[in-house]
Amino acid sequence: MKQLIRRRFADPSRRRGLLVAFEGPDGSGKTTQRKLFKTWLKSEGYEVVTTKWNSSDLIKPIIKSRKLLRALSPEEFSLLHAADFRHRVEHTILPALWDGKLVIADRFLFTALARDVARGLDLDRVLKVYQPLLWPDLVFYFSVSPTTSGKRVTNQRTPNFYEAGQDVTDLEDPVESYHRFITRVIREYEALALVFKFVTVDAEQTIAEQHHQIRSLFQQGAQKSWSEWNLDAFVDWLSLKRARR
Amino acid sequence: MAAGLIAVDGVNGAAVLETAQAEIARVVRARRGGISRWDASGLFDELTVAEPAAGRPSARTLLLLYAADLSFRLRWEITPTLAEGRTVVAAPYVDTAIAFGLAAGLPRSWLTNLFHFAPHPRSRFVDKSTPRKAGGEGFVEFGSRSIALPMGDTRRHLVERARKHLKPTASRSPGG
Repeated sequence: MKQLIRRRFADPSRRRGLLVAFEGPDGSGKTTQRKLFKTWLKSEGYEVVTTKWNSSDLIKPIIKSRKLLRALSPEEFSLLHAADFRHRVEHTILPALWDGKLVIADRFLFTALARDVARGLDLDRVLKVYQPLLWPDLVFYFSVSPTTSGKRVTNQRTPNFYEAGQDVTDLEDPVESYHRFITRVIREYEALALVFKFVTVDAEQTIAEQHHQIRSLFQQGAQKSWSEWNLDAFVDWLSLKRARR
Repeated sequence: MAAGLIAVDGVNGAAVLETAQAEIARVVRARRGGISRWDASGLFDELTVAEPAAGRPSARTLLLLYAADLSFRLRWEITPTLAEGRTVVAAPYVDTAIAFGLAAGLPRSWLTNLFHFAPHPRSRFVDKSTPRKAGGEGFVEFGSRSIALPMGDTRRHLVERARKHLKPTASRSPGG
């Protein structure tokens, strides 16, 4: 099975699937840039699939109802998001990559790592929960300061209970809690950016400047060969795919 | 006998519950805390009302949900009962889930890491019976009909493999 996977992804006659992740704190402008990037990719002839964080039809309703009740512990929050991610990997991301499409993930594994560790969970254990790991070809990290993130989010709305990290800060004021929590999240993101070699986009720049930077970085990154790291994820998924026939 | 956590595992949901009832009945009334059953959080119940287009969960996804449910049971049922100095029976507990995962071909290391947060029980009982048609549905029975199976595999074989993966340590038949 591993040979079949290698052959498919190294075949020069077909466009191989590409996985691009957009990561960063709330208010960093990821969604705006993701939409601009998708439009540009389509104009370049790519078939694009977008997947957003916490969006599977199977698990999202379960998470949503518990968030409304403020009923999740950090452990439950982590495990339910891992279940949602796994379902999207198996039903959306891997099938699209296998078909040679380009997948844009608006938040990926690193969102879970940064938030769960900021909630006090152990990085190594959370990483293992997400095995078999699927590594993006490119991770764009939208870097902003906690102050900028806080201003951009709170200018538009009041952060919700979990977004503000009120489950772990024990602060009653969501804005104050958001600032404290996002500072922790950004600290974790910045550590992950170094370890996993994210491509950092200065999200304090103008929208146009960021977009041009992303295009240029993508054109360099898309030439990279397929990552052998992803073999286990594809082997796992192909076994399931055969099961569904 | 001191208060503590008793785990009852098995693939036959009805028999696991009967064993749990027998175990809790042995405990002195003042120390009797109750039985913690799977899906106390209701998330598997919610899963069953999902549209078919949402797709079937894999064994891995199902076990992530089981771990979330167990975390809920520990927080709201098991830990508070133990803190009151009473005995609680978890039926099923960790071993049932690990047996299901192994039967579905998942690595033991992934399964062990997934349940790292669950404390070791004071006593553990394994029911080795096969599922009956009537009676309460256990996690393995639910899981085996919820996930997609590899070609050539059957739900009955999956349940049987899970049963074989359950380590037969202490066991006691209901009321025995």
